[in-house]
Amino acid sequence: MSRDRLEIFHHTMKTPLRYVLLSSLAVAPAFFAGCAASQGVQNPSGVAVTEMRPDEHGTVAGTGIESQDLVAVTDKMARSILAIPQITRAQTPPRIVIDPVKNDTRFPINKDLFTDRIQSQLISKSTGRVVFLARDRMQTLERERALKQSGQVTASADPNVVEFRGADYFLTGKLGGLTTRTGAGTSDYILYSFQLIDARTSEIVWEDSSEIKKQGLEDAAYR
Amino acid sequence: MSSVRHEPSSRSQPPALLRPRAGFAAAMSAVLLALSGCVEAPVAPPVHLTGDPVADGKAQLAVALPKDRVLWDYRIAAAALRAGQFDEAKARLDDAIARIGGIIANDEAAKKARSYFTAESQKTFIGEPYERVMAFYYRGLLYWRDGQPDNARACFRSAQFIDSAAEQETYRSDYVLLDYLDGLATAKLADDGSDAFARAQKLAKHDLPPYDPANNVLFFVEFGQGPRKYAAGQYGEQLKFRVQPSRIRSAMLVVAGHTVYFTPWDNLDFQAITRGGRVMDYILGNKAVFKQGTEAVGDLALAGAAIAADNIYKDPPRSPPTRDDRRSDNQPAAAPEQKNYDAENAAIALGVIGLISKVASAATTPQADTRTWENLPQYLSFSALHLAPGSYPASLQFYDAEGHAVPDLGRRLTINVGDASRDTVVILSELKR
Repeated sequence: MSRDRLEIFHHTMKTPLRYVLLSSLAVAPAFFAGCAASQGVQNPSGVAVTEMRPDEHGTVAGTGIESQDLVAVTDKMARSILAIPQITRAQTPPRIVIDPVKNDTRFPINKDLFTDRIQSQLISKSTGRVVFLARDRMQTLERERALKQSGQVTASADPNVVEFRGADYFLTGKLGGLTTRTGAGTSDYILYSFQLIDARTSEIVWEDSSEIKKQGLEDAAYR
Repeated sequence: MSSVRHEPSSRSQPPALLRPRAGFAAAMSAVLLALSGCVEAPVAPPVHLTGDPVADGKAQLAVALPKDRVLWDYRIAAAALRAGQFDEAKARLDDAIARIGGIIANDEAAKKARSYFTAESQKTFIGEPYERVMAFYYRGLLYWRDGQPDNARACFRSAQFIDSAAEQETYRSDYVLLDYLDGLATAKLADDGSDAFARAQKLAKHDLPPYDPANNVLFFVEFGQGPRKYAAGQYGEQLKFRVQPSRIRSAMLVVAGHTVYFTPWDNLDFQAITRGGRVMDYILGNKAVFKQGTEAVGDLALAGAAIAADNIYKDPPRSPPTRDDRRSDNQPAAAPEQKNYDAENAAIALGVIGLISKVASAATTPQADTRTWENLPQYLSFSALHLAPGSYPASLQFYDAEGHAVPDLGRRLTINVGDASRDTVVILSELKR
C-alpha cells in the first residue's frame, strides 16, 4: 500500500463517520434480532407444561388428559386388580362387565380408551384368571342368536337355551378434575378412580385411584 | 487540527469497501436483508368457490396455511352444524380443539408474532376467548347428541374456563348457558346440578327453567350476527370488535302442541367486548411505540443529514489582494473549492441512521390480528321439552326488537325424536351459513 493510500485509510478510519458506521452495523443486528416488542412481559415464551407429583405445590395449574396418563393409569389399575383375592383365589375365572367411566372433568375424552386398555391389560396379564363379557355387543349377539333360532344359520348348540353369561363383577371408573387459573398460568388436577363392584351384593370389592397434576402458562401471544 | 482538507485525487481513493458510501450501502443492504426475513408472509393459493359453505370451507382448508387451519375448522364446523352435517362438524371441531385445548408454549410462530417485524396474524390462529368458547360449546352439543352428556359437560366447563381469562372479575366465566347446561348434564347423570344452576341463575337476567331430567328434546337456538374484529389506533395496533344490534331478538317454536319461546341467554357481542386487555395488546402497543419512535428518529436524522450536506462545500474566504495583484490590476485569485469533511461525515452518518430508522419503522408491524370466525351468532338461547319418540312437524319464527315476526326467516321443519337412550338435540339458527 502506498504511503498516500495508507494515510487516507488511517484518516478514514479515524473519522467520526467510520465510528458511526461501524457502531450502526454492530448495533443494528442486536437492535433488530431480538425483535423484542414483548419487553416488560413476564415469561413471553410461556412455560412449557411440566408434570408434577400430585402432592407438589405448583405455582400454576395444569392441562388435560393425554396418552401417557391413560397408559400410566390403566397399567396401575390392571396390576392392582390382579392382586386382589377375589381374582387370585377364585375357583373359576370371575366374569367382569365393563361399565363406561364417567367423565367429571373439564376435558372431553374418548372414555372407551380407558376401559378398553384396562380390559386388554387384564386379559394379557391375567393369563385366563378373569373373563370379560361383551355387553357392548349384545345387540349383535342377540341378532345372531335370533338367526340361529330361526334356522337361518347353523348352531353348534341349542339356540333356545340362554347361554349369555351373567356378570360376577362390574368394573367402572370416574374421572374427576379440579382447575385453577391465576396470572401465572393454569393448573389441572385429575383424579382417576376405578372400582370393582360385586354384581350380586353391590359391594365394592376393590377400588384404586391415580392422580396427575399438570401446569403451564401459554405464550404471551395467546394471553 | 484542521477540519478542512483538499479533496484527495481519485488516484489516492481508499479501497472500495472502505469508502464511506460503500460502507453505507453495505450497512443498508444488511439491514434490509435482516428485516426482509422478518416480514415474509406466505399467502394461501386462491380457491374456486361453489356457494356451498361447507364444500368451499373444506376447499379453503385444504390449501390454508397451517396458521389458519383452526380458523377454517371453526367456519366449516358452524356451517356444517347448520347444514345438518354433524360428522363433518365433529371432525372439524375435534381438529380445532386438539390445537386450542392445550397450552401453547415455546411456539416459534408465537415468538415471531411478538417480534417487531412480524405481524400478529402470522401466529397460529386459535381465536379470541369467545371464539374458543363457541368451539367447545358446539362440540358439547354434538357430544350430547351422541348420548355423552358427561363429555358435553366437559366441553361446557372448558368453555367457561376459557372465559375466565377476562380482565375484570365481573366478566369472568359469565356465560349463563354454559353453567346451566353443566348443571343439566349433571342432573341427567343422576347427580346434583344445583350448584351449576345457582351460578347460572346468578348470571342470568331472567328466571331460568328448573331442571327436568325427563325433558329429552333439547333446543339450542341462535340468532343475530356475531362480533367482527377490526384494528384501530394509529397503526392498527388495537384489537376492537364491531358489534351491531341484531335485527332478531327472539324466536318461537311450535311443536306437538307446545309453544316454546326463545330469548337471549348469552350475547357474544357482549362477551367479545368485555374480555378486557390482552397481554398481546401490550406487546402491540410496544411495537407501535417503536414504529413511531423509529419514524421520528428517521425524520430527525434525515433532516440533519440534509442540513449537514448543505455545508459540505463552502466558498473559501477571499484573501486580500497582494501588491502584485494591485499592480497588475488583477482580481485576487479564487481559491479552489474546499470540502468540509466533518459535514460530509455527519451527513452520511445521519443519513445512515435516518434510513435505518425509516426502514425499521416501515418494517415494524404493530397491526392487531383481525382474523375472525365470522359465521358466529350474536345470541344463544335454549329450551327443553319432553316428547315421545317419533316425528313432529314444527314451525319456527324469528321476531325483531318490536316483537314483529320476520316473515322471510320463518320456516317449517320436522323434529325427529329418537329412542329414550339418549336426548334429541335440535340446533336451530337464523344464520344460513
